[in-house]
Amino acid sequence: MKRIDLPLDRVVDEIGKFYQFDRHHFIVMNAVDLGDSIELQWFFSDYAAPGEVTMFAAKTDASHIIPSITRVVPSAWVAEAELVDLMGINIENAKKGFVLEEDFEGAPLRKKQ
Amino acid sequence: MATYYDIPVGAQHISLLEPLHFKLTTDNEKIVDVEANVGYVHRGIEKACTTKFKFRQVSFVVGRICGLCSVSHTTAYSQLAEKLLNLEIPLRAKYLRILVLELDRIHSHMLCLSHVAENSGFEALFMRTMKDREISMELLEAVCGNRVQYDYSIVGGVARDLRPEVAQMVLKRLKELRPKVDDLIDIFQNNWSLSLKNKGIGAISREDAMRLNAVGPLARAAGVPVDVRNDTEDLLPWKQVGFEMVLENGGDVHARNMVRLKELLVSMKIIENVIQGLPEGPVVAETKALPEGEAVVRLEAPRGELFHYAKGNKTQYLERLKVKAPTFSNIPAFVEMFKGNEYASAPAIIASYDPCLSCTAR
Amino acid sequence: MKAFFIAIGNLFKRPATIQYPFAPTYKPDDYRGLIVHNPELCIWCRRCEMACPPGAIVFSQAMDGSQTYHYNRAVCIYCGECVRNCPKPGAIVQTATPASPALRDENINNSWAETVKQALESRAAYMAEKKRQSAAKQQQGGENPS
Repeated sequence: MKRIDLPLDRVVDEIGKFYQFDRHHFIVMNAVDLGDSIELQWFFSDYAAPGEVTMFAAKTDASHIIPSITRVVPSAWVAEAELVDLMGINIENAKKGFVLEEDFEGAPLRKKQ
Repeated sequence: MATYYDIPVGAQHISLLEPLHFKLTTDNEKIVDVEANVGYVHRGIEKACTTKFKFRQVSFVVGRICGLCSVSHTTAYSQLAEKLLNLEIPLRAKYLRILVLELDRIHSHMLCLSHVAENSGFEALFMRTMKDREISMELLEAVCGNRVQYDYSIVGGVARDLRPEVAQMVLKRLKELRPKVDDLIDIFQNNWSLSLKNKGIGAISREDAMRLNAVGPLARAAGVPVDVRNDTEDLLPWKQVGFEMVLENGGDVHARNMVRLKELLVSMKIIENVIQGLPEGPVVAETKALPEGEAVVRLEAPRGELFHYAKGNKTQYLERLKVKAPTFSNIPAFVEMFKGNEYASAPAIIASYDPCLSCTAR
Repeated sequence: MKAFFIAIGNLFKRPATIQYPFAPTYKPDDYRGLIVHNPELCIWCRRCEMACPPGAIVFSQAMDGSQTYHYNRAVCIYCGECVRNCPKPGAIVQTATPASPALRDENINNSWAETVKQALESRAAYMAEKKRQSAAKQQQGGENPS
């Protein structure tokens, strides 16, 4: 697995340069709670090079508004909507209420302080 | 000036097996727009796997996410834990895992085909496919001990060994199943009234399938060559046991049926190769280490690509576990597939897409 | 046209219905059945309790140190992890008898939560008593040589 660490404001540009729709396949977006910050991860695989998985990672704060990658990968709205519900982060253009109810309070996957 | 009506194909519907909700905006029977809502069976499994269950017990919990593709989740998690522990499992265990994965694929594809037949109105074919599926359920009970949710893969190998009389039983019953599958291919391909409901309905083009990142038989029926069994030769020896990818073009319901039927034949060939070439040796490897680091595993479930990510921190409990189901990736492609079709074909399209909502909203 | 002949032929075949539950279905002879514990061979290490995924085994401890084994057949998933983790072969085994269905009078789920709570409390009370006794002995031993 190839891991590329980037600052948050460069992620959308780097993914835009990297992703070609007939060669790469977007798997999923993930978030891990590290205690004092949250690490976001985007996974891609390659049709031409079987078995290779590329991961873009960025660290952020819970209160930042995270840019959405849907203008590069249109089908990513599903993964972003799930993370907004479960981790309590803000992604632009993603509404709450996809997996949990809309008026659910709290974020289940965050560690308790 | 057209009037648009909002019709729900609701969470409770006679023809749906899973709690799926679509709000279809229709213009006099043609579907124009779709809104999807899938979170009806969220159970918080990712949270439970990091707080309540130790990392060796998580393989039993993860197998209960879904009833149809249960062994795919257990095997993917076991491979992931073995990567975190740096453990190498014996070759006999790898071959036995392939055997149960392919038996599971047979029963799951036959369930989907019978459901497509039922939603197209052909109930006699539904009953007949289910009767032929009983052969594979008996084989699964003989090999694993249970008809659904067989806890077969554990961290380090497999739980039970394959006895010689059970292996002979598997070969004998597969010989009975093959002419039945050939009959089914004949009916699904040539029956005139079934083709009116299946050909040309719910089509998706190859470019749309690539742009929307579709996986599984849905993508292979549109001509996209994506199959994880091609990519993961280091974890399980797929090409050695005779795996071949099945592709069609057309992308409609008929093409998806054909892909599933041809994959049944490929699975039966793989099972025969595995039983005849099974190596000797132990079936489980022991270790006392604790998981650390992070790792990623992809596996081909009957419905597409399954993805597990885990992070360990040298204790008995994992730090983060992420599970992505194949139906989750297919939701954008599915929303696209409805547009332009008649409202009455909606149940047949949903059945051919083969959703598994328990995996999607865990 | 061929369908017509198939339909006539089917009139003379017997029905395809499987007669379960009036006739027995296929049961393998290594069926995953009930778990049985042998107190003579057990060394009371409690590894089966730690390995059980749903928590169907629990040990309670009396004040003289002896332990008792409790098992709930409705919570058990018959996976065999307890058998695989036991260091003494034969102390806990999986038989091939199917479990009988739970009756309402047994109150099997609610009473199990109570059993688990009492078992853990009895073990905690025994450990506290042992610690108190060893602290008292150490204090006595510290005083005597003087």
